[in-house]
Amino acid sequence: MAPTRHPAKPLNMTLAEADMRHGTGQEEPAAGGFLSLQGLGKRYQGFTAVHHLYLDVPRGELVALLGPSGCGKTTTLRMIAGLTPVSGGRVLVGGRDMTSEPPYRRDMGLVFQSYALFPHMTVERNVAFGLEMRRIGRAEVAERVKEAVAMVRLQGLEKRRPRELSGGQQQRVALARALVIQPSILLFDEPLSNLDAKLRDEMRTEIRDIQQRLGITAVFVTHDQAEALAMCDKVAVMNAGRLEQLGTPTELYERPANPFVASFVGRINRLPAMAMGTKAKVGERELRLTQPMEGNIEVMVRPHRIQLEPAGSAATESTNRVQGEIRRTTYVGDLIQYVVHVDGLNWSVEQPTSASATLSPIGAKVDLSWRVEDTLAFKSAG
Amino acid sequence: MAQQGDETRRNGLAIALLLPIVLVNVGVFLYPVLNLLSTSFKEALPGGGIGTEFTWANWSTLVQDRFYMEALLRSVLMSLLITFLTLLCSYPIALYLHRSSGQWRTFLLVLVVSPLLTSAVVRTYGWVAVLADTGLIKNGLEQIGITLPFRLVYNMTGVVIGLTEILMPYMILALLAGFGRLDPRCEEAALTLGARPIQAFWRVVLPLTAPGIALGCLLCFVLAVSSFITPRILGGGRVFLLATEIYDQAIVTLNWPAAGTLSILVLVVFGLSLILYTRALRAFD
Ligand SMILES: Nc1ncnc2c1ncn2[C@@H]1O[C@H](COP(=O)(O)OP(=O)(O)OP(=O)(O)O)[C@@H](O)[C@H]1O
Ligand SMILES: [Mg+2]
Repeated sequence: MAPTRHPAKPLNMTLAEADMRHGTGQEEPAAGGFLSLQGLGKRYQGFTAVHHLYLDVPRGELVALLGPSGCGKTTTLRMIAGLTPVSGGRVLVGGRDMTSEPPYRRDMGLVFQSYALFPHMTVERNVAFGLEMRRIGRAEVAERVKEAVAMVRLQGLEKRRPRELSGGQQQRVALARALVIQPSILLFDEPLSNLDAKLRDEMRTEIRDIQQRLGITAVFVTHDQAEALAMCDKVAVMNAGRLEQLGTPTELYERPANPFVASFVGRINRLPAMAMGTKAKVGERELRLTQPMEGNIEVMVRPHRIQLEPAGSAATESTNRVQGEIRRTTYVGDLIQYVVHVDGLNWSVEQPTSASATLSPIGAKVDLSWRVEDTLAFKSAG
Repeated sequence: MAQQGDETRRNGLAIALLLPIVLVNVGVFLYPVLNLLSTSFKEALPGGGIGTEFTWANWSTLVQDRFYMEALLRSVLMSLLITFLTLLCSYPIALYLHRSSGQWRTFLLVLVVSPLLTSAVVRTYGWVAVLADTGLIKNGLEQIGITLPFRLVYNMTGVVIGLTEILMPYMILALLAGFGRLDPRCEEAALTLGARPIQAFWRVVLPLTAPGIALGCLLCFVLAVSSFITPRILGGGRVFLLATEIYDQAIVTLNWPAAGTLSILVLVVFGLSLILYTRALRAFD
């Protein structure tokens, strides 16, 4: 028998039903998430793709996996789904060790980065496949396939083969095929990469909606930061096979754990400095830090947290300021982007249009000021 | 107008490029076949001569003589059996080869192809040594107290065993050529959707490899029907098939018209299997 942990339910079941089905979480073990990766690792000959990964995803949460290309996101998803054998560590689901379970007993849906549609089946048969494996009655299969096809806006294309579809249409079939089985865990590998902006927005909403309504626990791999920050409960940032930080979008943005996260999530300006306690020296100027540090550090500030003021404005206790010279201005509608030369480095500064009715001219000397709380500081590498 | 000129020129080029192969085919394939056809309507003269008069005699003998009809039936059924067994033995090997990579794959491919480098005659005599009453298998089984109540060679059994092995390389290569559409991700997708490996095989792997299976089966069937050395040696002259009969008529009895008639019959069988093959391919798509 195929796994049928969940009774077949139409996609549009009510919130109350969904609650009953997945409970409110009391039956879960106190520690750890519903999906828990414990020291997961993958070694290929002489190359470690994933290092000791610890990640807990509470039941019903959507966690984004964000990271540069080749950092091990797909490998991680494949290990969770049981398609790639792990080199070390465990995969727990609801406290149960799944590490050695075959993929077909894990009740997980995976949307492949390369879609992996069945080329010999029509759209309809592709979507129905998972339901048929679960021995669901014909009438209900037809019903649920119809809903899923409508959800990804593919009505009218049910009888086509994958090769008769555009890339984005294929991607939506892959999405429907994984969503229609309503697994307890959904794994998305860049599921929206091939869609246009409007469709992508719609699909985000649909995915988020289904995921929340059915209380599905999900991991969502994406390159798109805006997507990760906007639609996920938490974001895990990976780099070179390691988890750099797991946190809510705000935590990641406001309190990045290290320079990699700070510069990977959102844009940021950097300035090398010398720290002595809560003060840091940049040339002759002094900056205040939020925490005492010593030695060579890097000060980082987000572009839109900086105020541009005429040179020589009075400093206050609660702000940091540096001097610079405007090199370039770009007007992009709701804000103006400046490139400001600061101590030999180009900083970018963003100002809302209303605040600076007049564009500061190129070559003008300006003061850049920002609140002490907005000052991020990290020990310099090496 | 210029476009039309272009088109004419391109067509001209195509014809020029195709001409050599067309000429070769007409010369070495079409002409002999037509020749065979006309021979099949001539009278056989003693001593290998061919008469000049038109006659239906060869064809009416063929249709009326139970011996030939049985040989035809035997040939076709035996070849079908051999094709099926070859497929059964080759499919797992081909699938494994398709999934392996690097030097290991190269090594295995060489192993698969290497039998083709030795003559089928040599390999057939090898099988005689293995299957004979005093051969490896019977002897070996007797050592552990098992006596097979039937012979393994000089009968149909021997022919089937020998041809199956001899045709395996062709089958494996044809299967591999046809496995192009088989993306391992598809199988993985089936597994994540809840299919057990056996279900994934039936619903995904097998349909995707069907074109390769069809190609391999066509190739092996044709080769099995037309093989005569192996059936002659391993059949010990007791297994009467179309191909061996053609050989006997042409080389031993020197009855060329009879041999020609049987050859045309074999060609008809091939034509039918080709039609079946194209039908199957269309059905897969
Ligand atoms: N079968 C393999 N053998 C050796 N190395 C591999 C294998 N599969 C993946 N890798 C390596 O593991 C690393 C992680 O690969 P992975 O596919 O997980 O990256 P990713 O984060 O999904 O990247 P992308 O965003 O480009 O899809 C890469 O450096 C890749 O080269
Ligand atoms: Mg990837």
